[in-house]
Amino acid sequence: MAETLTAFGWVVMLSMIITLWCASIVALKKTLSEEDKKAELITQQGAIESYSPRALTELREWIENHPNDPYREIAVQRYNECVETLKEIDEPFYDWNDSQISDLEKL
Amino acid sequence: MEEDTGLARDQWATRFGFVMALVGAVVGSGNIWRMPYVAGMNGGGAFLVIYLVLLYLIAVPGLMAETLLGRYTQSGVIGAFKNFLGEGWSEGLGLVVVIVNIGLMSYYAPVIAWTIYYLAHAALGTFYQPGFDPTAFWAAFSGSPLLVVGLHTLVAVLVGFVLLFGISDGIERVVKWMIPALVVTLSAVAIKGLTLPGAMEGLAFAFNPEWEYMTDANTWIAALGQALFSTGLGWGIALTYGSYLGKNDDVPLGGGLITAVGNTSIGLLAIFTVFPAVFAFGLEPTTGAELTFVSLVSIFPSMTGGYIWGLLFFLGFLFATYSSGLGITEVGVTTVKEETRLTRTQSVIAVVGAWWLLGIPSAYSSEFLGWMDFMFGNFGLPLATLMILILVGWVIDSKRARILDLNHNSDVYIGSYWDPIIKYVIPTVMVFIMGYYFATNIEDPRAISGLALMTGLTIGSILLMQFIRRGKTNEPALTPGGD
Repeated sequence: MAETLTAFGWVVMLSMIITLWCASIVALKKTLSEEDKKAELITQQGAIESYSPRALTELREWIENHPNDPYREIAVQRYNECVETLKEIDEPFYDWNDSQISDLEKL
Repeated sequence: MEEDTGLARDQWATRFGFVMALVGAVVGSGNIWRMPYVAGMNGGGAFLVIYLVLLYLIAVPGLMAETLLGRYTQSGVIGAFKNFLGEGWSEGLGLVVVIVNIGLMSYYAPVIAWTIYYLAHAALGTFYQPGFDPTAFWAAFSGSPLLVVGLHTLVAVLVGFVLLFGISDGIERVVKWMIPALVVTLSAVAIKGLTLPGAMEGLAFAFNPEWEYMTDANTWIAALGQALFSTGLGWGIALTYGSYLGKNDDVPLGGGLITAVGNTSIGLLAIFTVFPAVFAFGLEPTTGAELTFVSLVSIFPSMTGGYIWGLLFFLGFLFATYSSGLGITEVGVTTVKEETRLTRTQSVIAVVGAWWLLGIPSAYSSEFLGWMDFMFGNFGLPLATLMILILVGWVIDSKRARILDLNHNSDVYIGSYWDPIIKYVIPTVMVFIMGYYFATNIEDPRAISGLALMTGLTIGSILLMQFIRRGKTNEPALTPGGD
């Protein structure tokens, strides 16, 4: 057995540190700052939208492609709530721009 | 204590509290004594590379699925199954998960008891007395059933006491400082270990890759087992803790990524904590529990400032095991409170009392404890994981679950790659692992009895719930938090 770390050993060790410790810290920092941002927006304007532009587009496509799905009603309800909130609030939580919001219509 | 009004469901007070609770629940003794030597015995760096790939590919998406199930249904495990499959036989599948957790806790509580005993003696300075023999000390302790059963009872009291206060006032209040303290204590011991002469040999054992292991099926099996089971995937803990999330909370980051990666980060920290010291003192690194309770105890007295390092190590070890005990027990408490007329206080007493009683044989005999670990570790937990993941992947449908709920209030967008992982990859892997364990242990009578026990448990639970709910309708509730 080798008594010291080989070059590959160093690479593995540093890769583990980056992909585990650094990833954990970055993810924790992100989720805590997002929580603060959500709380601040809810305090200021009473509500935040619940889907990002990409997620809401995907939800709409899914609703349109699954007219008989037993969960369609919930999906439409969530879609409409999100659109309604976006039209009411001043500052969205996700990365929405004004033209994207004005193009949205409830189902 | 939490009021049993039954009107409002408790919630995590902070995001940090939820994340710490979930990480604390899945970080346990296995991270400290198992992860380092499994890596070392399976090709070191080669194993870690495989493990890392499987962690991100399987464990992270799987934990997202389980947490999502809890947040969507706002229910414990039985309620989650009932929400999608209706009352009756399907609730039996949730009951299996509860029973597996009670069985698991029955033999995990004695491990917490060992840790309390060693922490107390680390504080008293017993390990530093002249002529101290760690092997004889361990034999005397484990051969004293009255003492172990007494400490097992103390664990029941300590776990039950915190759970009586509920989620935000009980679990969250404790883990918010306990998990950061665990990281600090292990880091302190790791820094000390890395400064010892010969420490690099320990790191070489753990990290130098032996590439031939990459093509060995056993390495992949070992990495899969570690990635799935050490992250707590499918135990019902992420589901239960997820059920206490608020409507604006995110699932993918906290419930999936941070839990899996944070758990493994502590496993990596354990490598730095344990191996440098083990190799510096020429100890055998592959002895499992003995490594902690015999080998490491023997080296602290030889280290400068050994008293403080030993104390910190066992303190960290206790935090790891105790926070797991809270999570494992809460799975049963939440479900019993929801599915019976018992208050939370009565549910805590019922669940803790059940595992305390079942745990007496494990506290009395370490052989029995090993048998329970074989049964529940190799057959019970994979069964629980399989049922929860099939519920999300096939009954709800992973694509529908992702579009409708996973990306709802999410801090990060999860793409369509997630769908086949939940629907096909994880169930296939679970069936393969269970089959592999059975095939490789077919001559071991415990394998036959393990399979028979789990089959009987599943059928018995289904029949029991069918009998209890007899006469009721089987219409699934399709609304979030459907109860």
